[in-house]
Amino acid sequence: MAELFELTLGGLSVGMIYAAIALSLVLIWRATRILNYAQGGLAMFTTYLAFTVITHTGSYWAGFVVTLVAGLLLGGLIERVVIRPVENKPPLNAIIVTIGLLIFLEGLAGVIYGGQYRSFPAAFSIDGLHVGSLALGISANDVFVAAAVLVAALLLAGLFQYTSVGLRLRAAAFSPPVARLLGVRVGRMLTLGWALAGLIGALAGVLVSPSTFLYPNSMDSVFVLGFTAAVIGGLDSPAGAVAGGLILGVALSYVGGYLGSDVVPLFGLAALVVVLMIRPEGLFSAAAARQV
Amino acid sequence: MTLLRHLAAAIVVALVLVLLTVRLDAFRDYQMAEVACYVVAVAGLTALVGLSGQISLGHGAFMAIGAYSAALLLLHLHWPLPAVLAAAAVITAASGAVVGVAAARLRGPYLAGATLLLAVALPSLALSDPSLFGGDQGLSVVTSTPAFLGPTFPPTRWQAWLTCGCALITLVLLANLARSRVGRSWRAAGDDEVAAALAGLNVARLRVLAFVVSAACAGLAGALLAITTSIVSPGAFTITLSVALLTGAVLGGLGSLAGAVWGSLVLVLVPTYVMDVAASHGLSSSAGSNIPVAAYGVVLVVVMLLFPDGIQGGLVRLYRPVAARVPAWRGLARRKTTGPATAPAPQPRASASEHQEEGSI
Amino acid sequence: MSEAPAAVPAGPDALAVRDLAAGYGGGLALHGISLAVRPASITAVLGANGAGKTTLLRAISGVLKPRGGRVLLHGRDVTGRAPENMARSGVAHVPEGQGIIGELTVEENLRLGALWRRPREARAAALAEAYQRFRVLAERRRRAAATLSGGERQMLVIARALMAQPRVLLLDEPSLGLAPRVVAQVMDLIAGLRETGLTVLLVEQNARSALAIADQGVVLNLGQVVVTAEAAALAADVQLRQHYLGF
Repeated sequence: MAELFELTLGGLSVGMIYAAIALSLVLIWRATRILNYAQGGLAMFTTYLAFTVITHTGSYWAGFVVTLVAGLLLGGLIERVVIRPVENKPPLNAIIVTIGLLIFLEGLAGVIYGGQYRSFPAAFSIDGLHVGSLALGISANDVFVAAAVLVAALLLAGLFQYTSVGLRLRAAAFSPPVARLLGVRVGRMLTLGWALAGLIGALAGVLVSPSTFLYPNSMDSVFVLGFTAAVIGGLDSPAGAVAGGLILGVALSYVGGYLGSDVVPLFGLAALVVVLMIRPEGLFSAAAARQV
Repeated sequence: MTLLRHLAAAIVVALVLVLLTVRLDAFRDYQMAEVACYVVAVAGLTALVGLSGQISLGHGAFMAIGAYSAALLLLHLHWPLPAVLAAAAVITAASGAVVGVAAARLRGPYLAGATLLLAVALPSLALSDPSLFGGDQGLSVVTSTPAFLGPTFPPTRWQAWLTCGCALITLVLLANLARSRVGRSWRAAGDDEVAAALAGLNVARLRVLAFVVSAACAGLAGALLAITTSIVSPGAFTITLSVALLTGAVLGGLGSLAGAVWGSLVLVLVPTYVMDVAASHGLSSSAGSNIPVAAYGVVLVVVMLLFPDGIQGGLVRLYRPVAARVPAWRGLARRKTTGPATAPAPQPRASASEHQEEGSI
Repeated sequence: MSEAPAAVPAGPDALAVRDLAAGYGGGLALHGISLAVRPASITAVLGANGAGKTTLLRAISGVLKPRGGRVLLHGRDVTGRAPENMARSGVAHVPEGQGIIGELTVEENLRLGALWRRPREARAAALAEAYQRFRVLAERRRRAAATLSGGERQMLVIARALMAQPRVLLLDEPSLGLAPRVVAQVMDLIAGLRETGLTVLLVEQNARSALAIADQGVVLNLGQVVVTAEAAALAADVQLRQHYLGF
């Protein structure tokens, strides 16, 4: 029973990372109908930037802030420069471009920082927390991870639901031609969408790197699982992304705990297969997927 | 008629290639063989993606199936080479049918994700039974040059001949297929499923058939690669390979068989070139091994931005105004896009999205 | 009722189009259209399907880049300006098929119409006025726009267009798919807009209803202007009506 509790909490914490990646993918998908294969690579790169700042200033929080800003700026820059030309082209062009971007970022990180695994500091203690004598199975850092993603998701939701900018973002995503006729600068909204996605991805990167170590390919498997979570929740649904991330995190945690950790990747893949076979549009999206 | 034209062109190209293999050194012959293997795989993939409109991020897995099949057949059953190649293609074709059926309902990013899964999962299958599949080390593949070529015939030249020959045969077959009713049906179903279904085409069957054909090509390519590199191991068939194949198809120009050649050339030559440049500048090992990677990424992005229709599309665009100016070439200019080794590059997706923009208000 | 919009220049036409040419893909759908619309008036653009009516509106509002000719807004050349800029210049285009954003609520759709307007109080005031004028929308303000009926949607898109306090309103087939009674309501509404100083360019298949409220009528056929005349005169010309307008 205690083990179940531990596994659940641990799964929720990891699940938040998947949720964050999934959320960033959904943001981009809703705005530009593109699956950003470079999302993990971007998160890895911004985490390296944080690493540089932390190493030079000794301050974790300075690095934390820098990485978020970098994610925001790079995300927007990438949309404006690299993605804009392929937004109205056949979807395969965007796939190749984002994959090329991923390869470029991984290569660049290798050139600048080298391929060795680097340890990345955690924001808070990674010792297990105890309530009295009961081991909770998670650490203070895990709580911070969950809280950070939750806060980010809520802020994002608030932005979209309750602000003018959010209304413009949604209009630009739902119906670009109509939005244009209403004076919305759709191009800028798309850039902003990518910028926000970059921000969330950067957050996921700093939060997960303490446990995965930092190296050019470190975000690859996180990206795959984040993509899985997004598919589970439905590529059109931000709430689904978060739910999908949590579900996947907890499920993989149980699998790892009860069946052994080498089965985990297979299970993740199996989950993706099941969802794609049974309900490709995801568990939470509106039943009629918009035909592009 | 078309078949004859294709064959004639193929024979001419074959003669040129033979000359090249004689003139070039062993390493270049090896590179030619590599390129030819990729051409086989990329040509099949470009038919799947460009003609039938389905995406696959998993064709590296099909190459693996073909490669391992060939290796096992050679190792345990000692079949003659032609039989091995044919068997590898057939086995992979069957697996293509399985995947095609499983993925028949999926579109867009979901199809991409599912095929990506295939690419990720399959290598681990090879690790599951080390005694059979050789585990991490893989299996070695031993072939010898045929007796009729004589004892001093360079093996690399033989491999170049073998692979280029297979590549040419594949291109001719695919070119004819693209021109045939099947090819036209693929294009119709790929452009507009609903319209195609209403016109009586069995869209699901066409989609599966496209997977079967492209998998067969990939399987053959895998077998050829196994023979050329003398080894099969899981490490040779990573996601990177699948991505590279797709990139080759898109870079060359989707749906264009000539494009498959361009794409394969880029795939093999650019990384080698960049690595040579890096090495000659004496860059440190970490920079040295990563600069080609970064450069490769840049090439992908830049080519896609500059040449949305791929290299073949870019060439066609360049060639047309030039040829149109020279009266004697005007006929050529018209024929270029419908010439022997080229399936016409499809316009549909671009205009579909244009249509979308204009027709949506 | 609302205050009159900022000073409408009496001199030049509110909207003028000179030799406008536009099309899709390889061909041209408009072959040199010219027309002029006086301020605070309604001009009906009529003609059969494929005559180029929708293309005309798109070429004016910037959705479609014209291939030739000019578009003049109060005498200023605005040819080929991007749609978002045309919207901010006081031209509101209500596209065919309405273009509500179904995933947003009624209120969000309305607010969207005025988001770019500078004084934030103006936005709130515009919203209040919209609710006053269109009671139905006030009742449904929190509902998803997709749940509205055809007539309600038409109200919504017109109300949304008015949120920006445009000087020129381009309406593309507002009566499409609406029951006759509702069509009459919509036409009444449009006629009323003229009283507030708005200039309306009204594309309609339903020529009879359109001519009933219009000042001027322009008949298009195959991308060219066939006749431009006072609406009453057009309605009276039986031969023309039957030939081009189907009644």
